[in-house]
Amino acid sequence: MASHRAPVTPPTTAGVESGDDVAGEYAACARHAVKVYGAGDTEVRALDDVTLELPPGQFTAIMGPSGSGKSTLMHCLAGLDTLTSGQALIGGTDLASLSDRERTILRRDRLGFVFQAFNLLPTLTAEENITLPADLAGRTADPEWLATVVSALDIADRLHHRPSELSGGQQQRVAVGRALISRPEVVFADEPTGALDSRASTELLRFLRSVVDDLHQTVVMVTHDPGAAAYADRVVFLADGAVVVELLDPTRERILDIMGRLDD
Amino acid sequence: MLRVSLRNLLVNKLRLFLTVTAVTVGVTFVSGTFVLSDTMLKAFDQLYAGLTSGTDVVVKSEAAYDADIAVTGGQVRPMDDTIVATVGEVPGVAVAEGGVTGFALVLDQQGEAIQPGGAPTFGTSITVDRRLAGAATFRAGRAPSGPHEMVLDARTVEKGGYALGDPVDVVLQDGPRTFRLVGVVGFGETDSLLGATLSGFDLATAQRVLGKEGVVDEVDVMAADGIDAEELRDRVAQVLPAGIEALTGAQVAEDGTQAVRDSMGIFTTIMLVFAGVSVLVGSFVIWNTFNVLVAQRRREVALLRAVGATRRQVLTGVLAEAAVIGLVAGGTGLVLGVGLAAGIRSLLDVIGVEIPTTSPAIEPRTVVAALAVGLIVTMVAAIAPAWAATRVAPMEALRNAVPAGGGVGRGRLVAGWVVTGTGLAALAGCAVVGDQRWGTVLATATTFVGLVLAGPTLARGMARLADHGPRGGGWRMAARNVARSSRRSAASALALTIGLTVVAAVAVTATSLKASVSDAVSGGNRSDLILEPAGAGLGVSPSVARLLRQREDVADVVELRETAAQVDGHASLVTAMDTAGLDRVIDLGVESGSLDDLAPGSLLVGTTAADDLGVGVGDTVTVTFPETGDTDLTVVGTFGRGSLIRASYVMTLPDFSANVTSQLDGAILVNSTPGTDPGRAKAAIGAALDDYPNVTVNDPADITRKAQQSVDQLLGIVTAMLLLAVVVAILGIVNTLVLSVVERTRELGLLRAVGGTRRQVRTVVRRESVLISLLGALTGIVLGTVAGIALSRALVEEGVTTLAVPTLTLVVYLVVAAAVGVLAAIGPARRASRVDVLRAITTE
Repeated sequence: MASHRAPVTPPTTAGVESGDDVAGEYAACARHAVKVYGAGDTEVRALDDVTLELPPGQFTAIMGPSGSGKSTLMHCLAGLDTLTSGQALIGGTDLASLSDRERTILRRDRLGFVFQAFNLLPTLTAEENITLPADLAGRTADPEWLATVVSALDIADRLHHRPSELSGGQQQRVAVGRALISRPEVVFADEPTGALDSRASTELLRFLRSVVDDLHQTVVMVTHDPGAAAYADRVVFLADGAVVVELLDPTRERILDIMGRLDD
Repeated sequence: MLRVSLRNLLVNKLRLFLTVTAVTVGVTFVSGTFVLSDTMLKAFDQLYAGLTSGTDVVVKSEAAYDADIAVTGGQVRPMDDTIVATVGEVPGVAVAEGGVTGFALVLDQQGEAIQPGGAPTFGTSITVDRRLAGAATFRAGRAPSGPHEMVLDARTVEKGGYALGDPVDVVLQDGPRTFRLVGVVGFGETDSLLGATLSGFDLATAQRVLGKEGVVDEVDVMAADGIDAEELRDRVAQVLPAGIEALTGAQVAEDGTQAVRDSMGIFTTIMLVFAGVSVLVGSFVIWNTFNVLVAQRRREVALLRAVGATRRQVLTGVLAEAAVIGLVAGGTGLVLGVGLAAGIRSLLDVIGVEIPTTSPAIEPRTVVAALAVGLIVTMVAAIAPAWAATRVAPMEALRNAVPAGGGVGRGRLVAGWVVTGTGLAALAGCAVVGDQRWGTVLATATTFVGLVLAGPTLARGMARLADHGPRGGGWRMAARNVARSSRRSAASALALTIGLTVVAAVAVTATSLKASVSDAVSGGNRSDLILEPAGAGLGVSPSVARLLRQREDVADVVELRETAAQVDGHASLVTAMDTAGLDRVIDLGVESGSLDDLAPGSLLVGTTAADDLGVGVGDTVTVTFPETGDTDLTVVGTFGRGSLIRASYVMTLPDFSANVTSQLDGAILVNSTPGTDPGRAKAAIGAALDDYPNVTVNDPADITRKAQQSVDQLLGIVTAMLLLAVVVAILGIVNTLVLSVVERTRELGLLRAVGGTRRQVRTVVRRESVLISLLGALTGIVLGTVAGIALSRALVEEGVTTLAVPTLTLVVYLVVAAAVGVLAAIGPARRASRVDVLRAITTE
């Protein structure tokens, strides 16, 4: 992993205005995204005109203090939540133009998810959890791809176990496996290491890194852990619902540095 | 703690409603039954008291024993009418009048019989002294006088469309006659006696037309001023010959009420059985609900324990919650029960049984019973879950414990299969041995207990069967959920099992009964036509048989009468038939002795009855008639096919007439002369009996159909009642599903997040519901079928001689159960599909 110092760059808002003709170049994209909760005195602007592009084949980390809107941004990009105004696009698809059912299908077929905890259905075995999106679609998972994913996960011997029989790290790897099974355009990971010990965290992050490097997947990870974010190709910092700074080829030190400055 | 309990209850009103309803249905049955029977008894008390209010003493023959009034019509041996004068001479007697009662069927202006369902049609003498009539008063007109006048009760006048002065056709024991209507009788505020039709004549006319010339059934006595009724009774008793008794009016009223009470006893028992089934089902639902609640509240309970609540407080808290539910259910059930009773009364009124109006009688016992049933059932059902709650460790508050179904102990598993096996083996034994009513009930109950123990295993087995197909939304996920909470699933299913066991057992028994009827008719009948009274009529005038015997197209006419009697001390129905032509109209299946030996002084005994009494050909049995007492008859034969005429004892008509006052025929079996076209014979005889509209002319197919129809009606009523128990079970399933949906919010949210559509989420819940329903239905139908077979074998004596299993009906029940599963899942599935994805996956 590269660890050279990269300059702090300003938010990449330039060129986004003409993004229509380059929509295909981005796996996911937010344009002037605004998310407002409540109204009147209790109004909270969780996202305040966020514009962000996520190129394919990249590992992006989204960071920011609590309440910065990083989770909201991810949920809106992933079609789990809707924007108040602005656009959230997956490939060339504007999520706002989709019905709830169409968004559900899009999540199933074109996206992958890894949550902090409770990623797996307790009644299904590890393998069944991995193939869940395919099963929901009424398809059989591509056996070759399944084999590839499973071997990368290194849990071949635990495939027929229930989640309760797996360690936390194994459970998260199964969750990543499930996220990958439909060869999604983007894998969204929401604090995937939040509930893991440091060893398991490292394993999972290395695995996510290899997912991008070897399997050429696009991964977006929300995290508050600088160590975790350092595995990404690019770190986007949010504060008060807006992108404040971006960091390419980050290191833990650079991230801590920026975090320190943002806290001031 | 109480505040916590109460708050828990109010948090989820839907759950409270479902839980309360589960118990309420049973309580409604209990209180409704009590209120209805108490109300009717109160009404009859008032009615009888009113009718006998003017009568101080009644003189009548003593009955040998109290026979079923529904069969004998309460007839006692008539007395020579000189007794009226004898009684009248007793000092202190102001008025003494003889009275007779008998059969009189009133026709309406179109010539159709006025025959309310189930109620008798009787003729009676009208007292000259109106003071003796008590509450029976003339609403219009006057008392009848002379051989051509009559009075009618107000209801019959209304039904027949008659007015004073109209000619009225009445079918009597000796044939039809016409009278002029001169008066309308009412009974206090009621228009009729229980819906019975009443034709009144003066005494001399009544004696003649009711076949009681020179005799009276009773003497009604009024005391002179200042003479006490008891005192007068004792004085009158001294002049009476042996076998005749004097009773005070109050005693007669009490006896009458007692008779009503006895006949209501069966009704009360049946209703309480339904109540019991509902209560049992309800208790299962409660048990299950509390189990789920406790499981879901483990963290809350643990927190309470951590901050210092004792186990006892936790136990009390859960039980207090149960007590509140029980009391609410008991109270609601009580109110609904009063409504149910009113509903049944209106229903009875519609079918012609007029019940005297009175306010609903809500005895303290009813209130206590309703609240006690509600409270006790709920508390008992909640004890085990409450106990489980006390075992929650305070540490669980700190852990992120996911409520799990928990394993089932090996002991329970083994016990479950052993008990189930024992019960089923016992049921099979009952079916093979036969005649084991209580054995069957006991074995069914045992099997059910076994099923309760083995339930979770069954649920997992069921889940394993369904665990196929697409893994995502299909059966697999539903099956896994059923298996995960196998205890809960099993408990929901077993509530349904109870209802369906009874429904299936009743269906099998009823179908067997229908097949038996058909077999009896085709196997035992040799007659061309069977004449019967229409509806629940008392009988057919013997003049009909006389008329038939004069016809040239009729070869054999065999009259059949029956009455209640005791044979060697066993209460039974005793049948009498003409011996001439008997073997040409029916095959009794004589097994020993000979039909030819049947003559006055002898009788034939059904094989089963002969076995029970331990008698055979040549032995003597004592038949005790209610009117006349003991008569010794010699057994001259035994027979095996009495079910067509439901006879266990067959004697001759002369012996019968000597002991029974009523000369009405219960049925007339007829053979046409050879060469007569059956259809034309039926039509011709029907036309010839135009004056007897209460007589139906049936060919064997009609008889079969009528019998089967009445079985179907009964089956329909019973099934409708049991459906309530099934509804309770459905509420239980709804409850369980709602609770498990709440419990699985995160899972459902995750499923939605990774691409499960709302429809797929609904499908999972729905299929889970269907699996639970099918489990309950399958176990219930299988157990019910086996129990029904054993029950049919136990009712051979009651005429269930053939065994038949209504496969199609049972399959329909199964399909309905699956549909019920779909229905039960509608609400919970909708709730599941509306889970807020974000909230579900981001909590904690």
